[in-house]
Amino acid sequence: MSNAIETRDLDYRAGKHFELRDLGLNVREGSIYGFLGPNGSGKTTTIRLLLGMLRPIRGSISILGRSVPREIPQIMAETGYVPERPHLYPYLTVAHAVRFHAAFYPGFDAAYADELRRSFAIPLEQKLASLSKGEMGKLHMLLVLAQRPRLLVLDEPTDGLDPVVRRDVLSALLDFCSQGTATVFISSHLVHELERICDWVGVLDNGKLVVELPMHGFKNGIKRVRVAHAPSLVGDTPFVLLQREMSGLEQVWVVRGWQAPMVQWFEGVGAEVREVVDLDLEEGFVELLRSSRTPAS
Amino acid sequence: MYRQVLHALWSALRLPVVLLAVLAFAVPLLTVTYGGNLEDAPTGRVAEWLFAAQQIGVLIPGLALLVGLLLGIGAWMHDHAGKHVYALSLPVSRGRYVWLRFAAGATLLLAPVATLGLGALIATLSVTLPSGIHAYPLQLTARFWLASLVCYAIFFAISISTRRAALVVLGLIGGVLLGDLLLSALGAGASVTPTVFMWLTNWPGPLSILIGRWALFDV
Repeated sequence: MSNAIETRDLDYRAGKHFELRDLGLNVREGSIYGFLGPNGSGKTTTIRLLLGMLRPIRGSISILGRSVPREIPQIMAETGYVPERPHLYPYLTVAHAVRFHAAFYPGFDAAYADELRRSFAIPLEQKLASLSKGEMGKLHMLLVLAQRPRLLVLDEPTDGLDPVVRRDVLSALLDFCSQGTATVFISSHLVHELERICDWVGVLDNGKLVVELPMHGFKNGIKRVRVAHAPSLVGDTPFVLLQREMSGLEQVWVVRGWQAPMVQWFEGVGAEVREVVDLDLEEGFVELLRSSRTPAS
Repeated sequence: MYRQVLHALWSALRLPVVLLAVLAFAVPLLTVTYGGNLEDAPTGRVAEWLFAAQQIGVLIPGLALLVGLLLGIGAWMHDHAGKHVYALSLPVSRGRYVWLRFAAGATLLLAPVATLGLGALIATLSVTLPSGIHAYPLQLTARFWLASLVCYAIFFAISISTRRAALVVLGLIGGVLLGDLLLSALGAGASVTPTVFMWLTNWPGPLSILIGRWALFDV
């Protein structure tokens, strides 16, 4: 399967304190890819690089098989983008904002837009300046879904929305995904939200891609293992050791890529596995970030 | 696309455009404040009337500057506020989007031009001119259109530029003024500012169209 988004060795620097380093993303066509990271980790910057709004220092970007920034107009014709904060023109009415947007997309599905508008209960003649944050978020989602894009790039689309609106927006997104084979790239720091909808996940921290793997691998492969008689030095392991710390006479290891037969490895080094605990996505996410900041020895 | 961009710009700028159109309509009418039949008026009164009408004509290049300023800055105001993110996410090249915006602003600019033309025509029809004095409503309107367009293009280009480019422009202006101060302190007897002003306002300087006589009535 080909990649809808592919970056290679992407470097970008903004000021003295922020940089993206060697970013290599692979977002498979048809997947729903959750782009996780704490605030300030570089998610929005990455998205702006992907969409040609910023220029990298080094590296290459390919979206839907086309090169960025050379083929950006063609890419954007097939891409729906919901930015972190809505930037639609506040002096337009909802009806006019829809007409304005539709004028740029020959494939814009006006009937679908109207259907979504009704289900979102957005008043047609209201000015955008007087819409609530939730209504604005729904309007933006409506506009990009009605484009019928091949790729959706959503930058924290539910951030700051109340739970009801958030559910409406995500339901509309999932409905849309179920109708076709669109790829969705969705950034968020709301881990639980992505857990429900994504099949791939990438974690960014401090401008570096910490991990990129299928959601099931992320959910099932990160474990907290209680180990007795643990060796002081760890050589080659069949899993990735993310973190280890003392807990009384035992050690607690956080590992990635865990499978049950790996217990034998511990026996081989004279240790004993006392307990293996599943971590939920949020715990796994936190452990990944901890390990990327202070790698286990 | 163009129609939607025009409609959007009109929604954003309709109040200033209407006000400018009313002003543009009023200015030529002011030139006939003295009004009446001048056909048999004494030469002194005609000269006085003509002088007053020409004095009011000075307002027209000022109005052209105002039209250019408001439309040029207004064309990008909301895009700046949103850091151009929405415009950049549309499936058109940056150059094409700039042209769409420019063309929409240039179209709105026709509103004050049309009302100035109408005002000039009504003013012309409301006076009986003595022989040797002529009215130039079409020429004045055409010149106002060109002057507004030039000012609009200049302010459009300035307002679309980045903060760095704006700093470069301000730096240049500051440099010219500083250069003047230095020359003055050295007693060089030369001055940069008038030279720059002359360069800008004399043909082919970009502001040369604003200079000169702006008279609806002239010999």
